[in-house]
Amino acid sequence: MKRRIQQLLFAAAIAGGATACGNSDDPAGGDDDVTGDEDAGVGSADEWDDRLGEREIDYSAALRIASLRLTGDLPSLVEVKALGDALAVEKRSVYESIVRGYLDDPRFAGQMFRFWQDTLKLGDDPEFDTAAAFAAQVTVEERPYTELLTAATGTCATFDEGLGTFAAADCANGVTTHAGLLSHPGAMRQYYGNLAFRRTRWVQETFACTAFPAEIADAQDLGGNALYTAPWPFESISGTANGGLVDFRDLSAVACANCHATMNHMAPLFANFDEDGQYGPAIAVLSPTPGTPTASMLDWLPVGEGPAWRLGVATPDLPTLGAAMATDPMISECAVARVWNWAMGKGDIVDTLSTVPSEVITAQVADFQAGNHVLKDAIFAVFTADDFVKF
Amino acid sequence: MTTKLTTLIPILGLALLGACAEEEAPPAEDLPTGNATGGEGNTFDHPETQIDVWELLDRLSEEGPPRYTSRVHSCAKIRYGTIGRILASRGVNLGGAGVTAGGLYATGDQALGAPNYGARARESVDLTTAGASRLFDIFVAAAPEIITQMPLRTECMIGGIGTEMFDTSGACTADGISCLTGVPATASHIELCNLTVQRASDPELGKNMAVAVIAAAAHTCE
Repeated sequence: MKRRIQQLLFAAAIAGGATACGNSDDPAGGDDDVTGDEDAGVGSADEWDDRLGEREIDYSAALRIASLRLTGDLPSLVEVKALGDALAVEKRSVYESIVRGYLDDPRFAGQMFRFWQDTLKLGDDPEFDTAAAFAAQVTVEERPYTELLTAATGTCATFDEGLGTFAAADCANGVTTHAGLLSHPGAMRQYYGNLAFRRTRWVQETFACTAFPAEIADAQDLGGNALYTAPWPFESISGTANGGLVDFRDLSAVACANCHATMNHMAPLFANFDEDGQYGPAIAVLSPTPGTPTASMLDWLPVGEGPAWRLGVATPDLPTLGAAMATDPMISECAVARVWNWAMGKGDIVDTLSTVPSEVITAQVADFQAGNHVLKDAIFAVFTADDFVKF
Repeated sequence: MTTKLTTLIPILGLALLGACAEEEAPPAEDLPTGNATGGEGNTFDHPETQIDVWELLDRLSEEGPPRYTSRVHSCAKIRYGTIGRILASRGVNLGGAGVTAGGLYATGDQALGAPNYGARARESVDLTTAGASRLFDIFVAAAPEIITQMPLRTECMIGGIGTEMFDTSGACTADGISCLTGVPATASHIELCNLTVQRASDPELGKNMAVAVIAAAAHTCE
């Protein structure tokens, strides 16, 4: 995520250059207050550290937020008074006890269901809801988070809101071996689009917490008007030169390949799902070119190239993609970062660029990875973290 | 992040200077605009979801860098479903219609920022003016029900004994406020509650206003 902000700031710098030179009223560019003034805040380390240091622990305020997020309701008066009346030295243990109780409360299942509806942006439709139900079931039952990417069965679960219970069910969309949510019919239907790029983007943003470009290397000047920054060989994706219908090697304005180097290696894995999310033997997505023909493999990759999660991580099918993602540390950090942002009341980590620097959640991520990726444990760790109980 | 950001500031400055140094250079060919635009005949629709860099800079300046903002709570609005559960657990009949708390809640999903998953949009965390207005309207309508039902709600009981929002003299009770807000009532809470009651033209109206004002203030943020 830091890289994402750097990219944007660099873009701002470039854009700012043009703006500055066009502003005859201000020879200096007029943007010093925004970009360079230490007092403005961005460059001042102490100011923000001081503000963090000024926070004070308030377990009662933390309990109200924890209750609203973990149970979907206010704490009971008994809980409010138990914590409020506790001795100072006892407050932490009382708070943690109540939070642990929330995680075992049937209402927590409903909250997880809604958390996953929001995270996956899938809901209010019986088929969509089976994706959120599966993810919530994995969370509530303390199964490894990586099952969201690797589970071969039970990935179209149902949730009984009244009872707060789940029932596993297999998805029936023609997939031979499922890969968690990566082959979910609801997700494939919701994110159907040309060349399967909408599905690819959903997978990247949901589970890796960054928008494309997903891989960045040293910039190369290949002779066009834009620099190429992906680590893949430039010719590893298609262009019109090798028979593709879209010139992903275009450098005339932007370097399409900066994002598409990774996207084109992932997208073919989602191409055989049709607009209803049903899997078939042939490619079922279209190319956005005249006549909207059905896409062919050459539209993404030249002969000799195959699907991959990242450079050097070949994934010939969805199960291997899921397995590769499950071992990628970025996926673990993303899961914890999403829980962190949920706890702290932030918006979507990608849509709103609500970045969580790695150093902020180092301990929680390490515990998550060491503890078999049990998200429920990570939720407890986040809701009892020092930052969560300080205001 | 601090190091990164402080490194980026000079870069921004250099870029500004660099741009000025080259202002005599001829402009590039007429190129399509947009952040994902290829060449002529090779431009396809891309989702315009890129963060505006100027908005990002403003945000970093006003709210602080991610190493700070990520560690402090935001004022996220209460989820639509959660509002319903709060109302129900404090005694409000969500089955009401028209200008009742239940009716206003049922028809207020869009104003209150409910998700639109069909459009691939999750629930917003931002409280809008329309949302805040509707929320207050709901609490005004809900106040009489809350006052009546609070003693009967198990969520507001201590040892099986119900909690009254107001005592026999008409004064606000600490436990009533605590159950309504979810945090221990402070002296200021009680004082403001009592002032709202006392300054009203009618005691019953004052009680309703006190409940609505406290609830709306407490539940502006989740």
